[in-house]
Amino acid sequence: MLTRRATRAFISPPSDPTPEVAVKGRSLWADAGARFARNRAAVAGAVVLALLCVFAFLGGLISPWDNETIDWGMLGQVSTVGGPSLETGHWFGVDETGRDLYARTVQGTRISLAVGIIGALVAVGIGTVWGAVAGYVGSRVDNVMMRLVDVMIAVPYMFVLILLMVVFERSVIMLFVGVGLISWLDMARIVRGQTLTLKNREFVEAAIATGVRTPTIIARHIVPNLLGIVVVYATLLVPSMILFESFVSFLGLGVQEPQTSLGALIAQGASQMRNDVPWMLGFPLAIFVILLFALFFVGDGLRDALDPKDR
Amino acid sequence: MTAFLIRRLLIAIPTILFLIVLSFVLMEVAPGSPFDSERGVPQYVLDNLEAKYGLDRPPWERLGLYVWNIVTDFDFGPTFTYRDRTVNDIIAQGFPVTLTYGFWSGIAAMAVGIPLGIVAALKQNSWIDTLAVGFSVGAQVLPNFVMAPILVLVFTLWLGWLPGGGWGGGQWNYLVLPVIALSTSYMASIARLTRSSMLEVLNAPFIRTARAKGLPMRRVVWRHALKPAMLPVISYLGPTFAFLITGSVLIDVFFSTGGIGQFFVAAALGRDYAIIMGVTILYGVIVVALNLLVDLLYAWIDPKIRYA
Amino acid sequence: MFRRSALMLSAATAMALTLPATAAEVPEGTNLAEEQVFRYRLLDQFPTLDPQLNEETAGSHVIRQLFEGLMNQDAQGNLVPGVATGFEASEGNTVYTFTLRDDARWSNGEPVTAQDFVYAWRRAADPATASPYQWYVELTQIENAAEIVAGEMDPSELGVEAVDNKTLRVTLTNPLPYFPAMTTYATLFPAPQATIEEHGDDWTDPANMVSNGAYVLDSLSLNETFTLTKNPEYWDAENVVIDRVEGYVVNDSNQSLTRYEAGEYDMLEPLPAGAYPRLEEERPDEAHSVPRLCSYYYPINFREGDDVPEALRDPNVRRALSLAVDRDVIVDQVLQGGQRPAYNFTHWATAGFELPEMDMASMTQAERDAEAQRLWEEAGSPDLDLRLIYNTSDEHRQIATVVSQMWKQKLGVDTELSNSEWAVYLEKRREGGFDLARSAWCGDYNEASTFLDLMTTPHGSNDGKFSNARYDELMAQSKTAEDPQPLYTEAEQIIADEVAMIPIYHYANTFLLNPEIKGFPMENVENNWYVKDFYRVAEE
Repeated sequence: MLTRRATRAFISPPSDPTPEVAVKGRSLWADAGARFARNRAAVAGAVVLALLCVFAFLGGLISPWDNETIDWGMLGQVSTVGGPSLETGHWFGVDETGRDLYARTVQGTRISLAVGIIGALVAVGIGTVWGAVAGYVGSRVDNVMMRLVDVMIAVPYMFVLILLMVVFERSVIMLFVGVGLISWLDMARIVRGQTLTLKNREFVEAAIATGVRTPTIIARHIVPNLLGIVVVYATLLVPSMILFESFVSFLGLGVQEPQTSLGALIAQGASQMRNDVPWMLGFPLAIFVILLFALFFVGDGLRDALDPKDR
Repeated sequence: MTAFLIRRLLIAIPTILFLIVLSFVLMEVAPGSPFDSERGVPQYVLDNLEAKYGLDRPPWERLGLYVWNIVTDFDFGPTFTYRDRTVNDIIAQGFPVTLTYGFWSGIAAMAVGIPLGIVAALKQNSWIDTLAVGFSVGAQVLPNFVMAPILVLVFTLWLGWLPGGGWGGGQWNYLVLPVIALSTSYMASIARLTRSSMLEVLNAPFIRTARAKGLPMRRVVWRHALKPAMLPVISYLGPTFAFLITGSVLIDVFFSTGGIGQFFVAAALGRDYAIIMGVTILYGVIVVALNLLVDLLYAWIDPKIRYA
Repeated sequence: MFRRSALMLSAATAMALTLPATAAEVPEGTNLAEEQVFRYRLLDQFPTLDPQLNEETAGSHVIRQLFEGLMNQDAQGNLVPGVATGFEASEGNTVYTFTLRDDARWSNGEPVTAQDFVYAWRRAADPATASPYQWYVELTQIENAAEIVAGEMDPSELGVEAVDNKTLRVTLTNPLPYFPAMTTYATLFPAPQATIEEHGDDWTDPANMVSNGAYVLDSLSLNETFTLTKNPEYWDAENVVIDRVEGYVVNDSNQSLTRYEAGEYDMLEPLPAGAYPRLEEERPDEAHSVPRLCSYYYPINFREGDDVPEALRDPNVRRALSLAVDRDVIVDQVLQGGQRPAYNFTHWATAGFELPEMDMASMTQAERDAEAQRLWEEAGSPDLDLRLIYNTSDEHRQIATVVSQMWKQKLGVDTELSNSEWAVYLEKRREGGFDLARSAWCGDYNEASTFLDLMTTPHGSNDGKFSNARYDELMAQSKTAEDPQPLYTEAEQIIADEVAMIPIYHYANTFLLNPEIKGFPMENVENNWYVKDFYRVAEE
């Protein structure tokens, strides 16, 4: 599906055992910052992203309408009077039940961002721990854990997610966890590869020699050194999560009314495509596309900045 | 090599078993029965139906019987929805359809994505590059449930060139719109991946050496750069084909192709356990097979990799 | 229609129908199209074409073309002869004797005999067949049906017998004046015993299928398309004009409209939510809205001990909620397809049913709102959180959204909208996991009891578990009453007084039909159409 497809496109092939990204020491972060600042597309993306966050979290404050109140005067004649207008206070127009589209888009963006970020965090969290433990402990534990990943990678996730949404009913939490659960496998593989190279480094050996316990070594020495790749991966995962959520919403398995998400708004807008109400699709889709563009550019920029190899 | 193959094939067995148990358990705990309808069904009707399909037996017994029938007769059982069909019938009808769309979409994604990526890399920072990058990001972020209706509106209603849906026995004109809708975003990721991988290879010392020796660019690209640059792309193709085949849900639903995806969604929503398990297993096998294929291809292209 | 015609018939006790029952009636001088084909869109794939196993509308439409039962319906929904040329009712409507026409044949040339009906009906009742419509056989009151479906008696004991090849005698447990009309439904169609025994479950394959209607199954590709072709063995084949029927399964409602507009099919039903006003304007010859015997309502959960808010036990609270729902807004501004606001349960177009005078119906919405607020304050303005469940669909979502906002603004009630997909929703509704549940009921036959029976205590679809002794008594009496109308009026009054449910609207069927197709039964409120009655005129 979307998630793994997109991330694979950016990250080294899973079966390639050679590490691509090696993050060393602290000075690299300053380096990376400078490299990122030189990348105009990435900086522009970051600025747009910041603006969208402001839109999503503060945009509701200036609107005269909320996301669920129906403008009864609009209902039933949305295509003629429900368009975007400064006078009515419906800056993005209204949806087919007369609710303010601006307020709904603001709220939908918030949900979509939350789904993307929390989903990515879940995936990255599980993947990092799993990969670090497998890589560091090694031998039989590694073998079992990575074979499990091999098994799981064969699961058709599109279907499992549909089943999960059906079984656990739709709830935003389940949505976050569901999309997160399907994307940690690649992360686990990459982190494991990294861990294998870190394991034999002097500072780890020093820690072992001084008798530090294994969990502490993983938490204190291994994971912090994986941060670079984890950050890159997480950024690239967020847009995939948001795309995935939109597909789930299209199937009608998304968030509950009156809550909405960008995906749900786009799906509803697309279903009204023939009813002379272009704003219902246009505004949510525009925000969605801008958001994803920004995320992609920021992700690319971060990867280039944190990856010492020149591209 | 043989040992590697055997090991991978052995892994496939627990994988498939895991899939069977996972989908079985999910369906067991899912609320709702396959025989519910808007009108309340009397208890005796439910009892008769459950007896007919053996749903009155304990779950572990059904699971065992299910696996047993597959192993001995390759029989995936009857469906609860389509009363006069078996799961084998459903797969026999839907799978060739889904496979055809997946295959042509994969071909289209590669045929456009790879050249686009190479050209963009060779002309880095030119307008072609900008255009290619813009296209590929744009194509990735436009949900295909928005693209599909626009395609139908343009090519079916306004231009009248192509049918708006159906399988039509696999005639080419029925394939065009679904293939475009299905392949575009994969096309875009392949283009992006090819571009970045090509750029990396072009900056590698051995290419610089070849250039320094005065070899023409065309020859350098064809003889030296292409093969290593394709490595990450190939490792991406396996999952891509798998997703093209398993990811055809939207295409099947939207274009009424009669493909597997539509059956799966309907079965998941209608609690048709039999179809869900059959399709999940089928897709699991495909994913395992494609991953294996990619690993073999990879070994063939990159002799450094040894499967011990 | 139903009961009236049935009563008329039973009054005559022995009556052979003499109406002409030919297929398409093409007026003189009509310029018929070269290619006589009818194409239509199906929302969902039908699960089966086996008449006895069928349980839903999409399949019923196709089976009605493939098979023919004892009786058919005409364009108005009146009974006309099918395989039977007529029937005789005797012993106070408990014994029906049908005479089968001599020239009725299966598509393999074999004659259709009374034995084919006996076989089919026993098959439908047999628990081993596990038909989801077994209960329909029980509903017909055929002798021993109830015992057979429960597995207590052998199917051969069913009260139906072939007196000879062309005479079928049915014995009922209770008098049922509308029994002949029940034979127009797929469950009671004949079945080809030899074919079924030869091929088992595969008998409905296009290669194996044998049928006795105006058409035979030519091809079938699930979730995509199917075709029917004219059956040359059909007794009235010479009057069947349409040669081929094609069905296209299109799930996505907007995609279905685009494909209709591109001319891929002649009929589109149902229309996408909210599209009717625009289509009516742009395509006045094609857009139709006709009454359809279904009612949309929100049952209220009356279960004891469930976590239903205590305030909902107060009839005045329920009444205030019902009053606050502005049905006119829903039908005129949300649905916009010729539906009618509902203040009672039974659909207004039900045959022989007079709408009782409901005081709620005669008020203006302003009066209703004022009354709602008065009742609300009287009840102590309870702090109410309601849980409204509905299944995933644009229309249900829109109505639920609008209704919840009406309650919020007028009464300050918070409504949790709980949208689930189909199977989950059905389970929640059945198990009582709701305060209010989106529901709709479509008449099985054209008579008020098909609606009103639903609110009786034991009814399987009484999901709110409403129970009222007087109501149950009224409905029991209505079964044998000469004139059941006063009983129905009182029953409706009980529903209204107790606010057993919140009726929302009475359905209309909105669809697009290519004007080249003639003979479509617009006045058949059960939406039973026979392609054999259609013909296609040439483009002008």
